[in-house]
Amino acid sequence: MWNILSEYYIDILIGVGYTMLVALIGTVVGLVIGVLIGVYRTIPDPKSKAALVFKKIGDYILTAYVEIFRGTPMMVQAMVIFWGFAELNGGRTLNVTVSGLIIVSINTGAYMAEIVRGGIISIDKGQFEGAHALGLTHTQTMFNVVLPQALRNILPSVSNEFIINIKDTSVLNVIGFTELFFVAKDIVTQTYKTFPTYLLVAIVYFILTFGISMLLRFVERKMDGSKNYKVLGSQNLDAESYAREARNG
Amino acid sequence: MVENSTSNIQNANLTADEIGQPIVKIEHLGKSFGDHIVLKDIDFSVCKGDVTCVIGPSGSGKSTLLRCINLFEKPTVGRILFHGEDVTAARKPNLLRQKVGMVFQSFNLFNNLNVLHNCTLGPRKVFKLSKADAEQLAIKHLKTVGMDAFVNAKPRQLSGGQKQRVAIARALCMNPEVLLFDEPTSALDPEMVGEVLAAMKTLAENGLTMIVVTHEMSFAREVANHVVFMDGGVIVEEGTPQQIFENPQEERTKLFLSRN
Repeated sequence: MWNILSEYYIDILIGVGYTMLVALIGTVVGLVIGVLIGVYRTIPDPKSKAALVFKKIGDYILTAYVEIFRGTPMMVQAMVIFWGFAELNGGRTLNVTVSGLIIVSINTGAYMAEIVRGGIISIDKGQFEGAHALGLTHTQTMFNVVLPQALRNILPSVSNEFIINIKDTSVLNVIGFTELFFVAKDIVTQTYKTFPTYLLVAIVYFILTFGISMLLRFVERKMDGSKNYKVLGSQNLDAESYAREARNG
Repeated sequence: MVENSTSNIQNANLTADEIGQPIVKIEHLGKSFGDHIVLKDIDFSVCKGDVTCVIGPSGSGKSTLLRCINLFEKPTVGRILFHGEDVTAARKPNLLRQKVGMVFQSFNLFNNLNVLHNCTLGPRKVFKLSKADAEQLAIKHLKTVGMDAFVNAKPRQLSGGQKQRVAIARALCMNPEVLLFDEPTSALDPEMVGEVLAAMKTLAENGLTMIVVTHEMSFAREVANHVVFMDGGVIVEEGTPQQIFENPQEERTKLFLSRN
């Protein structure tokens, strides 16, 4: 096993790099897609008929997207999208890295849409009413009050998706993407040392997922902030020094 | 008229100083949730500087009436006039809500923001105030309710009474023409009720127009200049505190007051 590591560590590092690149970008883009869909789905029904019909059509399209991408294996999606593109472009395939990024992003987006929607509806109705009572619009309420709380609440699920993505990028080997699993297969074909190679790769995968798991838990603690706060002492401070203390506070 | 209602809200303060013109006028208002009728043919109005207390047993429709005024609930029948303009079917209710503030029974402070930013969010996003101006405004109003020392605290770190005082300061930062209070002390223990009522009394003395749904009879008696008694979705009786508390005309009012 150590021989393989010392001989092929550069290939393994490249595999790790591609795996993490696709997993990270896929998760972030997927989260953005999820937030946009989540916000769209919680917009209150518009009053005019035309706008309502328009919104309903949007709803159906988004539902179809979520259900199709949740309901088919990512490995099959990868094949359909990669070879579908080639079919439409007279045999010219899309760059495999770009393909991988697109596939993981839209696949993650489908899951994230439901995670974000769950996060938004878990926020107490009073938070919406408190903001609406000040005259804030739906969008202002979402971005300033609801989403910051919803995102904190869904962070464990987002970590889950990230970890799943690190592992599931391995299916992209079917389109020839040079991620960690692809590198392992390559090493095996050269060395015939099947067991030690895959054991090594398993350990590398675990280090990646466990590291990310720890990192995101640290981020959660950071987001929760300090349990303490400072009560400003003197009652005679003028407004400006209050603001200054509050900012530094 | 309905079509123009949102733009008219913006011009409403031009007529605000017209004496005798009610700020809020409610005409034949009715509200039902399915088959359940909550409000029946409500008529009442509020003028500048009025402190109106709405009292009555639970389930009498007090809160629903209050929530109709800032369009949180859509009336089934009737009209809501703001400075004489019909806002019942306003396309953008947020324009009305910028002028009609609300304080809730459950506070509804923004859990992700500290006390200062709870107060500055409205002025910054709605009135596009600069950060410094909004903070100065927030601190001024936090001082009014005695919460200026807690600018750094998050809502979860405060007691119920403190939260409600911050919620009042947050509403004041929008400089509302009318401030609605929906049972502001019902979720508080007896000791904290006092500090919130004291803050509200200060506002009343400063001339703020307030509509207060409350079970605090002594507050209604002492601070209000107009008391509305509701039961079963209708206004049973209304008048000055003296009329309602010392010389009620209706049997239902007498019965309710005798039990409090």
